[in-house]
Amino acid sequence: MFLEKLLSPGKKEQVVIEGLKKHMKLLCSAIEVFQKALTENNKALMDDVKQSERDGDVIRREVISKIYEGAFLPYLRPNLCKLTEIIDNVFDLLKDAAYLYQTLRPVSTIQYQIDQIASLNLQMCQMLLMSFEALMGGGDLREKALAIRIYEKKIDDIKFDLLADLRSIPIDDFWEGKILSDFVSRLTSVSDVIEDASDYLQVINVSLR
Amino acid sequence: MKVKEFMKTRLEYVEVQDSVYDVIERMLDKRIRSLVVKPAGPEGVHGVVTARDVVFKALSKGLNPRDVKVSEIAAKPLVCIDQDTQLSDAAALMEKFNIGRVFVCDGKKLLGIFTLADAMAGSLIQIARESHVS
Repeated sequence: MFLEKLLSPGKKEQVVIEGLKKHMKLLCSAIEVFQKALTENNKALMDDVKQSERDGDVIRREVISKIYEGAFLPYLRPNLCKLTEIIDNVFDLLKDAAYLYQTLRPVSTIQYQIDQIASLNLQMCQMLLMSFEALMGGGDLREKALAIRIYEKKIDDIKFDLLADLRSIPIDDFWEGKILSDFVSRLTSVSDVIEDASDYLQVINVSLR
Repeated sequence: MKVKEFMKTRLEYVEVQDSVYDVIERMLDKRIRSLVVKPAGPEGVHGVVTARDVVFKALSKGLNPRDVKVSEIAAKPLVCIDQDTQLSDAAALMEKFNIGRVFVCDGKKLLGIFTLADAMAGSLIQIARESHVS
């Protein structure tokens, strides 16, 4: 029933669905590269994350233009546009975090928590992709949405500890502190926005019933 | 799935000579249900004091929490597991000892804590992953 509603009558819908899937897969691979760059302390690898954000922009434009060309029933269009914009917001956060990391002085005392958050972000993104595939296949999204909320809660817990630890890090000048603070803020916001995307998948799921 | 994916690595500690009142204050402040008790000396071992210990061994008996020391209600030694333990094995261990948490250790080093809530969260994520047909 889901596929009938989504894919009939034609090709534009297929392009949008493929585009959304490609967008999410690209996001997951960008988060994976980001995580690898963090664990290996490889600042040059962060350039690949920034490139992924630009590639993601291209996909978002394609998806939105196909929707405006008339893909899907009108009531579905705003939610699908919003979904791809939310994914784009994650790319933006990731790009900012990648840029900030390249200018950041490494802080060993918070490295473990940073790595943990990056790893959980990746698992969340993979779960979001599974959730999208389940939506396309007419499967159940409930447990995947709940899994995403569990990941988000775990990241929140780590975030509060991390914020407490941040206060004990000696800072030499204003910009050093601001860059570190902004980096942590962007990194910990990724999961919030992925959770928003998951909520939107639920909205689309409900609106298809 | 392994325990290390779901354990919490931040542990809160109390000293053996601290009072139960200190424990209550710390648990409520940090919104947690257990604290690790530091060893009394170099040869000592870690212990644990839980909300159940506080309520059942001190408060329900009408004792003044300021007069009861942590050492009087804490349990030791800790029940330890390896970080590569499977979720189901950790859950079975908690069931066997009728406890709400196990500690993740590497030799004498404490790495984290794995609770009933972590076991439930882990099992739900496992179900979500396994039910996925790509």
